[in-house]
Amino acid sequence: MEKLKDAFDFSDFSRSERIGFIIFTIFLFIFPWLGVSSFAKTVMIQFMLFSLFGMGWNTIGGYGGQVELGKAQYVGIGAYTVALMMVWWKVPFWISMPIGVLIALGYSFIIGYPLFRLKGHYFAIATICTSLVLKDIFDNWALVGAAKGIELPIHDHPDFLYMQFKSDTYYYYFIMALFYIAIFYMNWFRKSKLGYQLRMIKDDEDAAESLGIDIRWCKIKAYSIASAFVAVGGGFMAVYNLYIDPASVMELSLSIKIALMAMLGGAASMWGPIIGAAFLVPLDRFLGSWLGGHKGLTGIDYMIYAMLIMIVSAYQPRGIWGIIEDLRKRGK
Amino acid sequence: MRKTRFIIFFVFILFISLMFTHGNVYAQQNEIKIGVLYPLSGALATIGRDLQRAAELTADMINNKSPGVDLPMASWGGIPNLGGAKIKLIFVDHRGEPDRGADLAKRLILDDKVVGLMGAYNSAVTKTVSAVAERYGVPMINDSSTSPDLTERGFKWFWRTTPHDNFFNKDLFELLKGLTEGKVKGVKAIPKAQLKNLAYACENTEWGSGVAKSLEAYAKEYGFNITKGILYNANSPDLTSEAKALMSVNPDAMLFASYLSDSLLMIRTLKSMKAKTKILWGQNAGFEMADFAKTLGADINGVLTRTVFIDKITRVKKVAGQINALYKQKYGDDLTGATARSVVGVQTWAYVLNKAGSTDPKAIQKACNELHIPAKELVMPWAGIKFDSKGQNILGRGLIGQYQLKSDGKISLEIVYPFELATANFIYPFPGWK
Amino acid sequence: MLIIDALLQGLLIGLLFALVALGLTIIFGVMDIVNFAHGEFLMLGMYAVYWTNYFLNIDPLLALPVSAALGVILGLASYYLLISYLLRGPAIAQLFGTFGLMLFLQYLAMFLFSADYRMIERGFLVGKSISFGPFVFEATKLAAGVLSLISFAVVYYFLYKTKLGKALQATAINKEAATYMGIKTEKMNAIAWAIGGGTVGIAGGLLVNFYYAYPMVGILFVMIAFACVALGGFGSVKGVFFAGLLIGVLEMIFPVFGHLVGSDFLGPHFKFTVVYLAYFIIVVVRPQGLFGWKN
Repeated sequence: MEKLKDAFDFSDFSRSERIGFIIFTIFLFIFPWLGVSSFAKTVMIQFMLFSLFGMGWNTIGGYGGQVELGKAQYVGIGAYTVALMMVWWKVPFWISMPIGVLIALGYSFIIGYPLFRLKGHYFAIATICTSLVLKDIFDNWALVGAAKGIELPIHDHPDFLYMQFKSDTYYYYFIMALFYIAIFYMNWFRKSKLGYQLRMIKDDEDAAESLGIDIRWCKIKAYSIASAFVAVGGGFMAVYNLYIDPASVMELSLSIKIALMAMLGGAASMWGPIIGAAFLVPLDRFLGSWLGGHKGLTGIDYMIYAMLIMIVSAYQPRGIWGIIEDLRKRGK
Repeated sequence: MRKTRFIIFFVFILFISLMFTHGNVYAQQNEIKIGVLYPLSGALATIGRDLQRAAELTADMINNKSPGVDLPMASWGGIPNLGGAKIKLIFVDHRGEPDRGADLAKRLILDDKVVGLMGAYNSAVTKTVSAVAERYGVPMINDSSTSPDLTERGFKWFWRTTPHDNFFNKDLFELLKGLTEGKVKGVKAIPKAQLKNLAYACENTEWGSGVAKSLEAYAKEYGFNITKGILYNANSPDLTSEAKALMSVNPDAMLFASYLSDSLLMIRTLKSMKAKTKILWGQNAGFEMADFAKTLGADINGVLTRTVFIDKITRVKKVAGQINALYKQKYGDDLTGATARSVVGVQTWAYVLNKAGSTDPKAIQKACNELHIPAKELVMPWAGIKFDSKGQNILGRGLIGQYQLKSDGKISLEIVYPFELATANFIYPFPGWK
Repeated sequence: MLIIDALLQGLLIGLLFALVALGLTIIFGVMDIVNFAHGEFLMLGMYAVYWTNYFLNIDPLLALPVSAALGVILGLASYYLLISYLLRGPAIAQLFGTFGLMLFLQYLAMFLFSADYRMIERGFLVGKSISFGPFVFEATKLAAGVLSLISFAVVYYFLYKTKLGKALQATAINKEAATYMGIKTEKMNAIAWAIGGGTVGIAGGLLVNFYYAYPMVGILFVMIAFACVALGGFGSVKGVFFAGLLIGVLEMIFPVFGHLVGSDFLGPHFKFTVVYLAYFIIVVVRPQGLFGWKN
């Protein structure tokens, strides 16, 4: 119970952050009723989905300081579990999604054990490699649809069990619920024993080891938590898009996008992944619809996007949240 | 300091206000909006650009009378049964990403309030886009995705004008059968034993692996023997091992399903390995693109490609020639299989709208199911357009073309199948590399 | 027979993989940065040779200096304009800084040259092949193999026999000690980037002889280069050479193996999966790579 209280305790944040958080919550709640375009709604859904991914990544990549670039494989595991169970056995989303998370957890322990023998760049490249191997297998495995992917059956009527709705508003509130669960979980996590241990490992592995922390085990635990988060998001992607294929849920670019958003927003901070997603997702989608190929300007939107990434990582390695904190400090 | 804060605040406000921008608020009354999803950037940007051009050209032809074209719709100046309303195509760029396609489809349907959708070229994107269309009950006419699965899903709001891959694979075996029966122009009957062994190499995404499966099935049906079948990754830095694997069984015919990049690499590799075979056939995509012939030049003398449109059709079909001339005059290229399908897609939309006489989805659905466009009004060499209960056009058919080196040193694509449309003598066997 | 053939072909392509990865490992050795944009340097090198060949009608092999020069300029420009700022941050910020550069160069190329696939059409060796008994080799690949061997020899000589190269090595092994000895780290970094860019520019120039150029071509090769560098041991020139060969051979042998076993499942579509898997297994057993000295 004590622990649960920790999750809802935001008292160590500054006043302005707390007020900002409340305003943001209200804003999210009423957003679908503000008469916004439905495209904006899809953008918001993407934003919350990627915040969820980013917060998951933040446990191992941010607090743990490990350059992890293979999260897409867990998106894939989550998505494929939901899709396959629905297609094969008509299992409702609410059962298949937790199973997907369990599979992701199990797989992450199996992969994580050898993986965390590695450090630094060896580790980063190895995470990419494991993800690519899994994608290649799914790409050629006829049983799971191979590269063809899997289409989920469309239900004629809205169906809560299978998470099938016509309007995006339902999906919006569903992903919003997941988003807030993730926020509360992260709020608890950063104050948990594992959270402190991870930060210690990040600062100085030798010192952490001399304090009797089992470094490898800590990292594996954080890695598994991250994988579970990501698998939840993957399950959501399956019911939301109604179609998945290895190229869209297991691609290297997805792994990079997840880590990029968290990093750019500010790794190892509570709000970093959310800010990163809030910045990059709308930028990507809106720039695309303004300056995309249909105007004959192929590439300009991505060039702007890339420039911003370069500027932020060169100017303030702690990301946008780092910039905001700097401003606050100087403002005082 | 104030200033920076102000800028951050300003950017934030800008973002928020973006959320509220609706698509096109100033839509005119007598405009019918059709949302068109194509891959306009990313790896397929070039083909996407051509598709967009062809679609725009066709819409233009319908909206403004084009006296040079002998089609009823060229004299419409808008959709007659809808009070001369103009067709307005809204293009969006899905970049080949299925989830982006789905989001854009929602934008088109809910924000732009389009009457229907068209696109999306990539079969994977067509899947998610058509799922959105199905959910919202918005008609979608697919002009260019050839995955057979698309019309096997029992969708009520999805129609496809182009023949799909199974049609094309069947064409190939009809051609092979024709060769053994002496039906092919300029070639005497060849004993089947000399053509029995086939080998294929298909790229391993959804399209290629589907083609591979269907090739196996048809080979069995027509009594041919597949001695080697490989799937390979189109994004491979090297195809030597694939080429070697094909050559190791000395097949009578090599069959490919390749995109442009890997088709170029495959042919180059085969050439340098001095591969010997009697027939080289490519299942569209890479093999039919203009760049394929441009890059490989004389090397492809004798290579076969399946397609749906070859500019030689203009000799047999007057309409095709006229539209091709318009396109060429404006953009400098001939129509290709892909762009001609885009023309037909917009044309079908115009006919459907005219037949429905309303923009009500139910009326459009009914019009689609009852539609019949006669052969003479199409640029394609099809028997027409008529959808079956699954939404597939049953009157479409493919062509097989052969690249032939002409005496002026230029490579030209000649029709060799269907036999009655043949424009040149078939070169058999494959003459070998230059 | 098939196996020997595959082995030779694998060694040939492996030489090129190694050359692509060489610059990556030098840069990494000197300043601990993994450069995501490396593949884009390769891509621009390819375009450089392609356009020289296209407009000036110079043989692609003679146009190599152009791509090498472009590579050096690119390396220096990105070092002074971006990397020197990135160095202040943690590894992950550096990684994404170079990732941003990668995206930027990709889409710049797309904007300038469009997404068309471009392949050299005219050239002394293009499309020719040479046979040694039963073995047939593409002439362009053979030339690429020989030239990358030469490039390797030159770089090796430079690193281990010249004063500047030794200073570079010293910086790689211990930055602080090197600074005490009066070696300017800043200058060394710039040199590493110049060599890195130059070698990969040459690799691009060689590659375009038998591979097509398009804006996204880099990512294909950079993944293999990453595996090469990590497999050989970050920062090890010898390591990257043998890792490149190993990967080339693995990639060629595996489909032959599948063919001999008669399994369609173990076909060429898994050839790079095997490479990644091999990397994973080798590195787990030996966490510093084959020839690595750093962790």
